[in-house]
Amino acid sequence: MIRIKKISKKYGREKVLDSVTMNLEKGNVYGIVGENGAGKTTLFRCIAGIESHEGEITSEHGILKDHLGLLASEPFFFSKITGKEYIQLLANARNIKLSHIEDKNIFNLPLNKYASTYSTGMKKKLAFMAIMLQKNEVYVLDEPFSGVDIESNMIITQIIKKLKSLDRIVILSSHVFSTLSETCDEIYLLKGGKIMKKVKQKDFERLEKEMKAITIDSQIEKLFK
Amino acid sequence: MQEYFVLQIKMLNRKIIAFGIPLLLAYLLFPVIFFFLSNYLFSKTTYAIYFYGLASLGFTSTLSELKKNDFLRSIFNKTNYYKVRAAENLASTLPFLVFMLYKGYFPFAIILLLLSMLLIFSNFLNISNFKIPSPFSKRPFEFTIGFRKTYYLFAIAYFLAYMATSVGNFNLGIFSMILIGLICASYYLKPENEYIVWNSSATPREFLMEKMKICFTYFTLLSLPILIILGTYFYKSVDVLLLFFILINVYLATVILAKYASYPSEIDLPKGILVIMSLIFPPFLLGVIPFLYSKAINSLSLLLK
Repeated sequence: MIRIKKISKKYGREKVLDSVTMNLEKGNVYGIVGENGAGKTTLFRCIAGIESHEGEITSEHGILKDHLGLLASEPFFFSKITGKEYIQLLANARNIKLSHIEDKNIFNLPLNKYASTYSTGMKKKLAFMAIMLQKNEVYVLDEPFSGVDIESNMIITQIIKKLKSLDRIVILSSHVFSTLSETCDEIYLLKGGKIMKKVKQKDFERLEKEMKAITIDSQIEKLFK
Repeated sequence: MQEYFVLQIKMLNRKIIAFGIPLLLAYLLFPVIFFFLSNYLFSKTTYAIYFYGLASLGFTSTLSELKKNDFLRSIFNKTNYYKVRAAENLASTLPFLVFMLYKGYFPFAIILLLLSMLLIFSNFLNISNFKIPSPFSKRPFEFTIGFRKTYYLFAIAYFLAYMATSVGNFNLGIFSMILIGLICASYYLKPENEYIVWNSSATPREFLMEKMKICFTYFTLLSLPILIILGTYFYKSVDVLLLFFILINVYLATVILAKYASYPSEIDLPKGILVIMSLIFPPFLLGVIPFLYSKAINSLSLLLK
């Protein structure tokens, strides 16, 4: 279990996260939705321990970051490192011994080519595969479906379901509601750095309608006024 | 088009300021350093003009990077794109051209100018995409990437070691090992993305120790041919050889500590000066190493627990 208690984050005077509280249980998948700039990525970076913050995050795993796989929305790659070496680098960082990496290449990536030459979707799949092979207890996935082809989206969805069955904690964000409703147990609506709403699976449809009404109908009208 | 160059100058100025050098000083100092280095090269060898021309073309060819030029193509029309590239290439070649003219190498200057203009039609991504095998793939990343960028320099170092034995010049042999050390040190000059450091489950101390262990191991592997050749041919000077080998390892550790002492920024000027001072006066290391170590632990403790 992970307890996130009143975490806040400021950049200068701007408050990006405002007293966010969440309890994340084993074997559950949590979705975070919100507009661009709502604070999703900052929240993820705080949970991962990359950003300092006010408030407290506690976990039964001790040092949470050592058991956490973070998929950044735009993963970083060195210029002259192959896909296979990238996976090896992340495994070495957690003292994980890997053998026959090619056999685990479920996305059929060209692992012996430089990762920097991969397309956006291929980079995402490589970063996703690397954190899976780290055998983490917690997964924070920032936009795991964006830029990825339909077939791989289906594979990622199935992997998230598998992680749930393996009692892992998964937190993810997506701008495509259907990907969240298919995988999540709970969805948090983040706005202006605050959790505005927590919605259980049975109410996902209502949440989607509400979000459409607020973000689509009213906003599109502005453009054509 | 003008805005593009104004932006380039702004970016350069920001880099100079971030490095800790006042702008005025930098613009006064760089031409002076360039002039003295050029003069030094021409005073040392009769082939200087060829090295100089190659160095200039090498520098200009960095502007032929495909992604950068794709971006330029996307924002400028064809005519303006070639104008920008010609102006960029001319600016990067100009210091070399001026010095060549000052030395009276007029035909060479004209050839260099023509070649640099020809480079505006080149883009180099295909070459850099070719995967170069690296013997350091098991422990990415510094040596894996560094080797791919600098493999040809090792050939030069080994050739110098061979030359040292041919002409019986022990100092040249030592220089070849120092060259390997400098190449390895260059792998630690740029800070990596914080995600890479954050991923490690090591404590800051363990992290630094692991970095140094990898560096020592791979530097030893790369220097081994030189150690064997020089140790065999100059066996009476084995003690001096080993002393230099140990000293280079200590300096490599200092560079690693300086890198992480400044992390996540690049090594700043004060820390750079500390490293240079300890190169000039090695006993400084006794103070510099503990200082940089404690700074590095502090910097890393933000990401590592």
